[in-house]
Amino acid sequence: MESSGVQVAYKEVDVVTTGTFGAMCSSGAIINLGHADPPIKIQNAWLNDVPVPHPGAAVDLYIGATIGSETRSFEYGGGHVIEDLIGGKEVELRATGPGTDCYPRTRIETTLTKDDLNQFYLLNFRNGYQRYSCATNGRDETIYTYMGKLLPRYRNATYSGAGELNPLTNDPDYETIGLGTRIFLGGGQGYVIGEGTQHNPKSRLGTISVRGDAKRMSPEFIRGASFTNYGTSLYVGIGIPIPLLNEGVANKVAIRDEEIVTDITDYGIPRRDRGAIRQTNYKELKSGKIDINGRDVKVTSISSLKKAHKITETLKSWIEGASFYLSQHVEKLPTDTVFKPMRQTEETTFVESIVHEAVTCSEDERIEEVAQRLVKRSVNHIVVVDEEGKLSGIVTSWDITKSIANGKKTLKDIIVRNVHTASLNEPLETASRTLAQHNISALPVVNSERKVLGIVTSEDISRLLGGVRSG
Amino acid sequence: MLDLVRVMLRFSKENVDRPITSQVILEQGTPVNILSAHMNQQGGEILVDIEAAHADRVIKAFRSRDVTVDVRKLVEKDDNKCIDCGVCISLCPMDALAFAEDYTVVLDEEKCNGITCGLCVDACTQRAIRLIG
Repeated sequence: MESSGVQVAYKEVDVVTTGTFGAMCSSGAIINLGHADPPIKIQNAWLNDVPVPHPGAAVDLYIGATIGSETRSFEYGGGHVIEDLIGGKEVELRATGPGTDCYPRTRIETTLTKDDLNQFYLLNFRNGYQRYSCATNGRDETIYTYMGKLLPRYRNATYSGAGELNPLTNDPDYETIGLGTRIFLGGGQGYVIGEGTQHNPKSRLGTISVRGDAKRMSPEFIRGASFTNYGTSLYVGIGIPIPLLNEGVANKVAIRDEEIVTDITDYGIPRRDRGAIRQTNYKELKSGKIDINGRDVKVTSISSLKKAHKITETLKSWIEGASFYLSQHVEKLPTDTVFKPMRQTEETTFVESIVHEAVTCSEDERIEEVAQRLVKRSVNHIVVVDEEGKLSGIVTSWDITKSIANGKKTLKDIIVRNVHTASLNEPLETASRTLAQHNISALPVVNSERKVLGIVTSEDISRLLGGVRSG
Repeated sequence: MLDLVRVMLRFSKENVDRPITSQVILEQGTPVNILSAHMNQQGGEILVDIEAAHADRVIKAFRSRDVTVDVRKLVEKDDNKCIDCGVCISLCPMDALAFAEDYTVVLDEEKCNGITCGLCVDACTQRAIRLIG
């Protein structure tokens, strides 16, 4: 809807339907199995090998979307179990219990479909973000995130959310959407049951939590998902009707993609606060290209705009066909919730606190000179730098040993050019992860211009951990 | 646009050091467009486009020099699994994956680099893209 048409729209239109279809990791389902004979008080349970936490009494279970199967952990998870059940498939239940006087059974194995369950509710405690940051990656290597696969050096970017179709984006002051609002959920109907976790209205990052009868949902709008090297999730379709109660509400649903501003964020930075490379808006994001540091970068959504449109259309036809009735909320979503960071009682250690001077050499030195320096300074790594002190490679004492064995004469032949690095403000934990992932023992510490500031080695880290333990 | 056939040429340790591709181009007098090449002394693969009208004789010329030639589909997208999110699009260096006007994700098999690339495959959360070969 164009702003110029707001008054006309307010007179002519009663309801605007909104929708989104995205990966919503805070999804799950509550199921009730009914009692076996003899009955069991379930302590541990698995559905298709996915551990299913047991939140309540004997046979109530919660299937969490992100919990991976014990046999195919990142490929199949709770999200897939939910999709399979909704799709009418049989799933295998395995459960154990302590055995009590009233619940004597200690094991059970059976198969179930959704028709065998008493209740099967989709329960999602955070979704429908008003907007979300656009993700890219400034590191030298591909990273796999909940925002998808991000190529090195800002070669692609992803974003989530349907922009101007997004429910909360059309009701940014929560005038119509609140506890008790009836919604389209996963192809069936459900309700908003309150603010979502991490609801952050002041930053226009509001969220909702929702519940709906999963037995009436459809795999068209509920899909399990496998994010490589991240884990499983659940794509959920949500549609919310917004009644145009007054001209103010009508004005707000006229919001357009270019007015919805969000940050472009470097997910390569392993910190909670990653800052923003710059701001963008959903119009630019939907164009498929954004400019990062003067270069055109391909950007695509990880949520589905096609399905978001389908949801708004389906909801519209339901309302027109009188199979969906709008409800008035019984309580408003809060507008003053604060999203706090975690209270941490242990301080995080950063690379900065253990970095030390790197022994360096230049490319044109002889292997013998370099070997002598390694011995003299009793280190195993020598960082190769150019005349400006910028990183051009690394040589280890093992590389020198190999050069003798293979008869290689010049330093240039043995320099390792593809060097993994660390930065000063990087948590030690991620530096250790880099060392372990690549099976290496040292990381030159560089600044953003790749100037060498020092080195951290696995020995430094072990020493620190050892110190912590004995202290 | 010319009708092109995309084929994968596989070289072995025995023939990788011979200038076979140039020989075939000269002998057959038709261009062979190299899309990607991965070679070392042990052998390798070159993905090429050949004009459809000359494809038969060019393929025969490669085969007569003991090059294995695979003519087949390089990639497959299962549209029933696909949820049209588009995560694959930003990863594709060949623009083989794109949104249609209604935001359906469409794959242009002709443009795809196949197994020499594969950037999209592990990014698909629905495991809807499969490389062949």
